[in-house]
Amino acid sequence: MSISQKEIQTLARLSRLEFSEEEQEKFIPDFEEIIAFADRINGEVVGDTSSIKEVAARTIAWEDLREDEVTDSLPNEKITSNVEAQDGYFPVRRVVK
Amino acid sequence: MKYQLVSGLETHVELATKTKIFCGCTTAFGGEPNTHCCPVCTGQPGALPILNKKVVEYAIRAGLATHCTINTTTHLDRKNYCYPDLPKAYQISQFDKPLCEHGYVELESGKRIGITRIHIEEDAGKLVHESGYTLIDYNRGGVPLIEIVSEPDISSPEEAKEYVEKLQLIMRYIGVSDCKMQEGSMRCDVNISVMPEGSKEFGTRTEIKNMNSISYIDKAMRYEYERQCEVLNDGGKIVQATLRYDEKTGETSVMRTKEDAQDYRYFPEPDILTVVIPESKVEEIKSQLPELPLEKLNRYIDELKINPATARLLYKYKKVCDFVEKVISLGASVKNAVNLTTGVLYSKLPTEEDKENFALPVTAEETAKLIKLADEGKINITLAQQTLSKMAEEGNPVSAYIKEEDLAGVDDSELEEICKQAIENNPAAAADFKGGKEKAIFALYGFVKKATQGKADIKKADAILKKLILG
Repeated sequence: MSISQKEIQTLARLSRLEFSEEEQEKFIPDFEEIIAFADRINGEVVGDTSSIKEVAARTIAWEDLREDEVTDSLPNEKITSNVEAQDGYFPVRRVVK
Repeated sequence: MKYQLVSGLETHVELATKTKIFCGCTTAFGGEPNTHCCPVCTGQPGALPILNKKVVEYAIRAGLATHCTINTTTHLDRKNYCYPDLPKAYQISQFDKPLCEHGYVELESGKRIGITRIHIEEDAGKLVHESGYTLIDYNRGGVPLIEIVSEPDISSPEEAKEYVEKLQLIMRYIGVSDCKMQEGSMRCDVNISVMPEGSKEFGTRTEIKNMNSISYIDKAMRYEYERQCEVLNDGGKIVQATLRYDEKTGETSVMRTKEDAQDYRYFPEPDILTVVIPESKVEEIKSQLPELPLEKLNRYIDELKINPATARLLYKYKKVCDFVEKVISLGASVKNAVNLTTGVLYSKLPTEEDKENFALPVTAEETAKLIKLADEGKINITLAQQTLSKMAEEGNPVSAYIKEEDLAGVDDSELEEICKQAIENNPAAAADFKGGKEKAIFALYGFVKKATQGKADIKKADAILKKLILG
């Protein structure tokens, strides 16, 4: 399956990443290889995929769902320990114009 | 050309569970920023979500109350989008297997607004935009929501308003949400298109995002309808777009068009297994559903013979209904129970929220006692009203205002004596009444009321007075 440069651009936009024209072109063979690999899993190599579907069909029983009981949250310092918190908030670059 | 409005609503309702949808953090409103958070709801690597049983239960309840079928095998999906209100860069939602499908909400006209689906999902965090930067509070992130998607069956702003009100009422009745639009626990996206009257083919639609009040929904729909009609009448085309409504100007403006529509790349959520709900559980939830708003309204009108306008004043408020029904079950007459509640008690509950909360210090037991005194003619209705008013303000029992001995006070012979005095003291009124002026008798009632301090049964007094005057 062939991948167009436009598809690479769409994926980059959705992932909030920026690439130069050259980089975009370099991705095309990479992506084609990835898709070819997935296609192989889809049947060529594995053949019978019923065992995979079985895994996908694993279910959780009603009893195993979580009861609605409050547990302790983490203290603010801990939750925000990877950023320079501002009054307890996570600061980011302004996202609206 | 005349155009027909076509509209469907997507309504988000926050569920009233104690904990978030995938972790044990509290859902309490407010709180210091980022204090109701844990590794799961802030999307830390390796943290695993576990679905809250109550969320599934509440969503099934909402589905059953809107006549949906329940998909007992259901799974969650990842909806990918990149915005800082989502710490994981995806929202766990449902895509192709929603929990509930194919229901409806019935309007009073009998028209049914179809419910396409109801699915469960997590709420996003709250963003505070400052100059040059944005602050994020993830306390709300992971709070459970249901999204109720209607069919494009709504054909006027009035229908939209009634649909939202009915939905709100149903959710409150079944106790799954308080549906406070001003606090954001209920919000709507409104889809609107127009088509030539009589046509069957829908026009291009626009979607107005995040409406948080019924009156804004009404105004925004009217504005957008007019705008679309104008564009078409001028020979233009409607551009499919997501709009925002500006409450100050009353106008809609474009947020994004179809070209930059989101590509959510949904796929099954690998961290949560497919949920299998036992049929017996669905049956159990169904059997526990309370009487629904429209059923209650009809019962009030048909069985309790409450006049429709008054029944409507009552049925909107679940707690008021519970109170009135209890007063009646304790032996009070329907008429007096209903009239005293909507008359005296409502005057102390001026706002919608006051009525919704119904936090008066008066009990159903004491109210029933008081009303029974009025029913039996031991006190007149004016005294009952005044007493209930005091009870609702001061929280004291009936006995604090009306003594046993007062009640026994006006026996028949005494009443007859007072009636005689009434005629003697008001000869002109008595003569006028005899001469055919029916209203003249009110002067005599007044005398009797005053002489007995309101304790006389005016119906009895009326009979005695007429007998004495007319012979």
